[in-house]
Amino acid sequence: MTRTRKPGISRRTTLALMGAGAASLATPWVAHAQAKTIKIGMPTILSGRVAQLGTSSRNGVMIEVEKVNAAGGFAGRQIEMVVRDSKGQPQEAARVARELVNTDGCEILIDAEASSGAFAVHEVARDLGVLCIHTNSETSSLTADPKQHIPNAFRTARQGVHDSIAGGSYAAAIAKAKGLKKWATCAPDYAYGRDTTGEYTTYLKRFAPDIEIISESWPKLFQPDYTEVVTKILQAKPQALYTCLWGGDLTSYIDQANIYALFSQMEVFAVNMADYTALTVVKNLPKGIHSGNRYIKTYPATAENAAWGDAYKAKYNEYPTNWSWENATAIMLLAEASKKANSADGKKIAEALKGLKIKSPFGADGTVTMRAEDNTLVGYAIGWGTTIPQEPYVPEVKPGDWKTILELEAEWKKSKGYT
Amino acid sequence: MDLDALTGCLVTSACLVTQTTSGLIIGMLLFLVAVGLTLIFGVLKVVNFSHGAFYMFGAYFAMTAYQATGSFALAMLAGAIGTAIIGLVFERGFMSRVYGRDVLMQLLVCYAFVLIFDDVVRMIWGPEFKSMGMPAAFQVVPLFIAGGVVPPYYLLLIGVALAAALVLGLGLARTRIGKVIRAAAHNPGMVSALGINTGLIYGGVFALGGGLAGLAGALAAPVRSLTPGMGFSVLIESFIVTVIGGMGSILGALVGALLIGLIRSFGSLGFPLFTEGLMYLFMVIVLVSRPSGLFGKEVA
Amino acid sequence: MSELQAGQGTALDVRADTKSTRYRDVLIALAAFVILALLPAFTGSKFLLDFVIRCAAYGLFATSLNLLVGYTGLTSFGHGMFFGLGAYGFGLMMQKAGVSVPVAFVSTLLIVLVFAAVIGAICVRLKEIYFAFVTLAFQMLIHSTILSWVSFTGGDQGLRGGIPRPPFLGIDLSNHLHLYVFSCALLVLGLLLMRQIAQSPFGYTLRMIRDNATRASFVGIDVYRAKLTIFVLAALFASVGGMIMALFVSGAYPEFAYWTISGEGIFINMLGGVTTFLGPMVGTVLLLILNDTVTRLTEYHGIVLGIVILFFAIGLRKGLMDFAWEWYVQRRDAAKERG
Repeated sequence: MTRTRKPGISRRTTLALMGAGAASLATPWVAHAQAKTIKIGMPTILSGRVAQLGTSSRNGVMIEVEKVNAAGGFAGRQIEMVVRDSKGQPQEAARVARELVNTDGCEILIDAEASSGAFAVHEVARDLGVLCIHTNSETSSLTADPKQHIPNAFRTARQGVHDSIAGGSYAAAIAKAKGLKKWATCAPDYAYGRDTTGEYTTYLKRFAPDIEIISESWPKLFQPDYTEVVTKILQAKPQALYTCLWGGDLTSYIDQANIYALFSQMEVFAVNMADYTALTVVKNLPKGIHSGNRYIKTYPATAENAAWGDAYKAKYNEYPTNWSWENATAIMLLAEASKKANSADGKKIAEALKGLKIKSPFGADGTVTMRAEDNTLVGYAIGWGTTIPQEPYVPEVKPGDWKTILELEAEWKKSKGYT
Repeated sequence: MDLDALTGCLVTSACLVTQTTSGLIIGMLLFLVAVGLTLIFGVLKVVNFSHGAFYMFGAYFAMTAYQATGSFALAMLAGAIGTAIIGLVFERGFMSRVYGRDVLMQLLVCYAFVLIFDDVVRMIWGPEFKSMGMPAAFQVVPLFIAGGVVPPYYLLLIGVALAAALVLGLGLARTRIGKVIRAAAHNPGMVSALGINTGLIYGGVFALGGGLAGLAGALAAPVRSLTPGMGFSVLIESFIVTVIGGMGSILGALVGALLIGLIRSFGSLGFPLFTEGLMYLFMVIVLVSRPSGLFGKEVA
Repeated sequence: MSELQAGQGTALDVRADTKSTRYRDVLIALAAFVILALLPAFTGSKFLLDFVIRCAAYGLFATSLNLLVGYTGLTSFGHGMFFGLGAYGFGLMMQKAGVSVPVAFVSTLLIVLVFAAVIGAICVRLKEIYFAFVTLAFQMLIHSTILSWVSFTGGDQGLRGGIPRPPFLGIDLSNHLHLYVFSCALLVLGLLLMRQIAQSPFGYTLRMIRDNATRASFVGIDVYRAKLTIFVLAALFASVGGMIMALFVSGAYPEFAYWTISGEGIFINMLGGVTTFLGPMVGTVLLLILNDTVTRLTEYHGIVLGIVILFFAIGLRKGLMDFAWEWYVQRRDAAKERG
């Protein structure tokens, strides 16, 4: 662990400001106070257990905002980011979002909230009609369900169902090759965990019909101890384990499963493993865990992606996270849309965003697209590989096939009654 | 619900051994946190709602010491002693000012420190989660006992917790200091009239309770991820333990912790989606039928 | 919020109720409502209106908690469950049953009444810290049920997709201004009703129970029944707060039923003070201002908030209104002595 300090406002600055009793002078996120600026409000989680979610989202946004501002901003207007903490509470997220628009005069919202907070901000966007980009919520229904649809809200995050189709087809291939028939699942008991696991097993069984799920575990989100879950899985003696635990929960789980030698007894598919936040933290990372990519600078294996990852690391002294690229993409898309519309007006940008395809370091083929039909991002890099305990952590990534993903997604939407 | 899995496990020795030990493991670590809580309540008559923060400090101190020295033993010591010192300062500096006052005031002072401590940890160690890593000595294959799986590290953990329980129980029952502490719990006025410094006893008990939570955090550090706010879920669980066992009873904390451990390990088989709910339900049942807990003194 | 403080002089008066004080309360309530309702005519600030709506939600909740904590001596750690039940009951009623707002409102009150009666019947038998524990346990039980019962409550994602708000009697709650006036009306009415409860003979029975439950039972008061009654009444008012919150965010989330809401309620009470009727209301305004400004300025708001709490708990040793009230009494007595 050589990551030293987090970016942004330093703790020393904060301490100094508070110590001097001059906290009121601190307006750290008002970067460019010029007359013609356009304010973008960003409610996110900056405190509590998932503060990392907010800080790395903010970093992803800021690194791109600086580039856009240097190139003249949105149609000549410099961007001013107003980033506020919601503490991860939906009612605070809603309140902060309203306040950002009504009081601070923000014309665009970047909603970097998790799960329930995103739905709360979505209602604010519905109410106020402000352009809103959801950057972190992977819950498929946020954009897939027509009941949720509003023309002024977009999503630049992964989508659960895309992930599951790619993951299911990858895992099915390995299951067939290695004869893995008995599977266990272990997922955090909340919407993301339940939906993702449900979709994953659906597609796994579709690609490899003779697979059987023999054990399911549903630990609570942020549960500190997984001993009973680990032993339950060991009892069931599956040949493979799927888990969508993430972040600190995943690393706890790995540390605790390690001392039961779980990883030597089954193939493990952990969709959220290949993220630097988890990869760099686990001290005794087992070799050969299958994982989907979250953000990794070696996939897509392009110079642009590597350069972006390195620039981020140089600036913030840590690697980007899954949330970093998702938030950076929001700014990249907004900038391109504002160029296309030649305007910084939210409505015009929203129109230009529909169906917009941009060059992106995070694209599977060098581009990502804001799909017009449901305002969600497609074409981003998605793939699976196995881990090694040191850099580059996931040496080879097998790309997911977007053609299959889109076909099956359309089918999935129909089955849900969304189309 | 999956009652077949539960009954199936109860009749298989391998499963029974593994799940029982896993219940013991969860329970014993919980006991270390809960016993401090119950001790502080028993003597000082305050519910230390900031107890989870001590557990958190223990884990962070242990990680830092382990990274600096590479010694597991020193890491454990750092976790326990460092936290004990914080406990002493916290009690003498702040808690001692709200003794005998409304329980709400005590609660709020603790709550204030939960907020402050979490932010202090975030300032010092950063918002991202961390991992201490398992010392090489314990990176060995697990043992097989009657078909059940038991990792050696957890044997050490159970051993330490049991030793703490024994030392505490015997210490309070047999030694002079133990007698003074019990006397102070019973009648602080009389104890201070005898020329004994009750402030010192209170501070000491708080340091001991905090230190035990710190030790628990240090023991947990190799297997649990470290984040600001990590103490909260542990606080809630150890709180349930002390309420079930009876506030102030060390034996109660032990029994309560083991019960919760077993509810978790077997509940996750039978009721995978309602394991947490089972604990609260159990707590409600105990509180309603025996308000003072299984081993608590009857309330007047 | 000067209109609220304007009522202090009378609100602080804890002499036995007479008709005249009741008239005075009603007049003050009317005046407060008129001032609040006219506010949008003077300011276009949506932020201020949002602020008042949130004050209404938290204020009703905190004041109802004070009926338990301050007046009856029942320290509930789980009062937030009724805030959450109100929000969920109302939201579910509107989303799933598709009824009109008044029907949903009344049926939510009925649901909360049943819950509170059952939970209260179990809890109020217990004393002091054990009462606090068991209310907390019930709160956690309800919270984990909301989380687990995904098909009904939406689990951790809460009630999504917005709460439909069909107009009724010319009131359209999807209109921000209408929602504002509606919330103000509920707030003022709720406070007035709670004030009448507090000043009624029943209210004095509660104070007697708080001061000495044994003596109260000796003079023939059914302590259990009185405690249960106020537990249920307080729950109803708390649920109205929850309903306002559900309308404000157009949804309901498990956080509404989490222990942190109860914790905030207790904090509000301490901030404002529990010895005066309007203390919790003042505390609400203080906490919301504190929360909104501190989160704006620093992401280390935990430290700031913690220090503020310590200032009140160890420094002032009482709530702001307690402090103001004592200061007022001292001045009055001093003036009397001089006069």
